[in-house]
Amino acid sequence: MSARREVIVASPHARNAESSFARAVSTLVRGGDFLFVSGLAAVDPRSGERVRGTTASETRQILANLKQLLEAAGSSLDKVVKVNVLLHSMLEAPNMNEVYARFFPDPPPARTVCGARLPDDAKVVIECTALA
Amino acid sequence: MTETLPRSAIEPKNPRLNVSRSANLPHVPGIRVGPYIFLSGMGPINPETGEREHGPIAEQIRTTLRNMQHMLESAGSSLGRVVRVHVVLADLADMPEMERVYREFFPIDPPARMAWSMELRFGNGCEIECVALAA
Repeated sequence: MSARREVIVASPHARNAESSFARAVSTLVRGGDFLFVSGLAAVDPRSGERVRGTTASETRQILANLKQLLEAAGSSLDKVVKVNVLLHSMLEAPNMNEVYARFFPDPPPARTVCGARLPDDAKVVIECTALA
Repeated sequence: MTETLPRSAIEPKNPRLNVSRSANLPHVPGIRVGPYIFLSGMGPINPETGEREHGPIAEQIRTTLRNMQHMLESAGSSLGRVVRVHVVLADLADMPEMERVYREFFPIDPPARMAWSMELRFGNGCEIECVALAA
């Protein structure tokens, strides 16, 4: 049982903190029935530059970008099955949640939230797996 | 309801890399389910001795990714079939070195990735896991 692997370049929204810093990362990779989205930090989708704000504003920027990325790849937020959220401080979890809840349908996807030391001084990094 | 996907555990051809078995940990190195392969988090294990190697971070990353390659190839897959990677470093300052070595293994069309830093067990400088497609 073999499945197709495809790197999806959803220009102009393919830029994220990883790919715009020329890292060995593809933002979107389709594998079989699933779409794997890299960990996204808050980035201005026009300039590809990192946006630094509060946990709430970074979460809002990331999820707005994620929505566009998924839709450019033919998927959408309501096809997300699992989300991993990394926060620079777990004390910020309520601030992230308040914004996060507005983006996803009911019932929202499965999710894990962890505190971690994040690259590029990010306050939030979010990745997900969606149905392609 | 569609029929259930077949599920089986993955074993490395080199038994010294079956770390969870030798350390009696309650996980397998990986699971294949249908067309997908899910590998457990892997650390820097010397494939000759089965012991952890805590040298420079570049060497730890290289060893870990070589072992991941071995694990995938043991299951009939390859690094080129990896779709998503998690890279965890004990020290956030090791990100640039990780990046330098990582791209040797994924030079074109790399997988999706999330990288971060948190406390790791056994004194490991890195732990890397992935999802791949079977051959």
